[in-house]
Amino acid sequence: MKHGAWHQFGDRSQKLALEQLQHGAGVGVIISPRDLALDKAMEYAPKYKDAGGDVLYDPQFYVPGALLGKLGTYPTATHRKTVSELHKISDDDLSDLADKLRQISHDLGVAGIVAPAVVYEAGRPDIDGLNQRLFAAAESAGKSLRLPVYATVVLGRSITTSDHTTDSAVSSATALDADGWYFAFEFSVDRVPGSEPDVLRCCRTGLRLAATGKPVLHAYAGPLALLSAGFGATGVGIGHSHKVWQFTRERWEEGTAQGGGADAPARYFSNALWGTIIHPDETVQLPPALKAEVLTSSPFTSPWNRWQANKHFVHVICSKVDKLYKTATAREAVEAAIDVLSHAVALHTNIADNLHITLKDDTASYQAAWQDAMNKLLSNYSDDYDYLEML
Amino acid sequence: MPYIVPIGDAQAQFPDYSFVKALTPSEHKAAFHVRDGDGRDLCLKLIAPNYSVDRLNREIQALQNIDHPNVVVLVEYTYSSKHQQQRHYIIEQFVEGDDLTARLTGQPWSRTKVASFFAALASGLEALRRAKVVHRDLKPNNIRVRHDDAPVIIDFGLARHLDLPDITKTAEGAAIGTPAYFAPEQFGGTKHDIEHRTDLFAFGVLLYEALIGQHPFFRPSRTWAELVRAVCQSDAHFTADSFVQLPKQWRLLVRKLLARQRADRPRTAGQVAAIINKIGAV
Repeated sequence: MKHGAWHQFGDRSQKLALEQLQHGAGVGVIISPRDLALDKAMEYAPKYKDAGGDVLYDPQFYVPGALLGKLGTYPTATHRKTVSELHKISDDDLSDLADKLRQISHDLGVAGIVAPAVVYEAGRPDIDGLNQRLFAAAESAGKSLRLPVYATVVLGRSITTSDHTTDSAVSSATALDADGWYFAFEFSVDRVPGSEPDVLRCCRTGLRLAATGKPVLHAYAGPLALLSAGFGATGVGIGHSHKVWQFTRERWEEGTAQGGGADAPARYFSNALWGTIIHPDETVQLPPALKAEVLTSSPFTSPWNRWQANKHFVHVICSKVDKLYKTATAREAVEAAIDVLSHAVALHTNIADNLHITLKDDTASYQAAWQDAMNKLLSNYSDDYDYLEML
Repeated sequence: MPYIVPIGDAQAQFPDYSFVKALTPSEHKAAFHVRDGDGRDLCLKLIAPNYSVDRLNREIQALQNIDHPNVVVLVEYTYSSKHQQQRHYIIEQFVEGDDLTARLTGQPWSRTKVASFFAALASGLEALRRAKVVHRDLKPNNIRVRHDDAPVIIDFGLARHLDLPDITKTAEGAAIGTPAYFAPEQFGGTKHDIEHRTDLFAFGVLLYEALIGQHPFFRPSRTWAELVRAVCQSDAHFTADSFVQLPKQWRLLVRKLLARQRADRPRTAGQVAAIINKIGAV
């Protein structure tokens, strides 16, 4: 698995990802069958590779019965069933699923196979068993194509709210004989996770996965990508759309589509604030020196509009992630992330307390919590960092 | 009660072999050091008539696909029933030497010796992992030590092949094996929690014993409840002077192996072997 930022597809990502790769941002793409039809995926996959990017295909069995969006265009759609029906999947059907995964993976020229898996839930050992069987299908496809197989470890909200349930789920998931982990953590529905214990738990889970010595792709990371290298992730999935800034299963549930916010102003993602600011409505209020610091440049800031704002966001995060991956160790990456957050907190404090400017969207609400979480990760789980360095 | 067969009776049943001596029997197996017509030293195990055929089949399945210098080699398994007479036996490679029990004398080993012995033992455990076999009863009695000090894992009577249904009678239980070497999930988990990292916990107990000269949890005076508490709740074994004085890398490895959560243990014995080789004799 390549180190660095992977373009996590949401709606209308295919061209944006290609453009970013051509600008040197990102190391690969993660194709979303919900958002891109198979024929289009096959059309674009060679282009990504020509632009130097690897391709992964996320089969998205999170809500396994879902058939919304473009999911029906993939042959694996015949196996999309509710969890209770999927439990009854026969060995023959599992073998058919393996064949279809192999065919899609071959056609897209993927660099590894992301195993199908439903979201892990608390008190559901049956899901552990189901995911083992689904993993076996991916393993069979991987063996025939001689590709690494990454187990999907997506922890649902029923798990992520407590250490005990997280411990148990991670123990089960890591019993799989995987070549790596495709990991996502379902937070509460905040736009950006802001609870220190939850962020710590997420990063601690990532650290445990990394301590297996196998690569970890932190999927649906969004701005949280700042922390991924610090918990030992190899790759991090970044999508332009707010809807993939974190994992929420609602994306795969009929009738729960999030609103588009078509009239919302363009948010400018600032490296210095590690958050968004409305440009120019809010940035115009800042003193020139601060404004210059806040307005992180990228090739996508002119002309300025909502679509450019998406491209800018991806580019800024990819650039930062690249820098973090150039640090020697996970421990150094945490320290670098803490520096970014500490500076962001100071800037936000300055803007709010000295300049009396209140930014919209609670954009200053999470940096301090993340900083605390990272400090705790480093001090409470020092053994894990030492162990990572011993591997 | 061990299953005892007089050596003369055994010799009469197996005239093709010369019987060198009787080995320590287990509850269901009488074991002998024998020599075949080609002069090969072997271990012949006669199976007690009441022993579960399913359990024995599991032992055979566990062993037949493994070819590793640190895992005992299965030579032959025969089950026949003639004239209402059952012949039920296993022939394994005979491992000259003694049990690890004889080497764990209460004195710490040199770290050079620890490194070479436990790297080899981890390598044997990795062979089991690759064959999807969980031993479930890794303990000093089940590790033979050759004259050249190399370990050999023996006795797969409680092993589980992860691709085969578990025949454990306690339908939900995980408490199979030897409690002094139990991982926390063997005290309080279900059989679904028993996997390769369960063996790694027992490996961690053995490593601790070799490094420190003392078992981390078991004391003759401890009750069952105290043992459970020591394994599942206490960190006292990590505060013992002799443990604290170990080099940091060894302490870290032992702490990881003895982690209560499976997710916090090393993922594979192969990883452990690589780490021990890196640490070396530090």
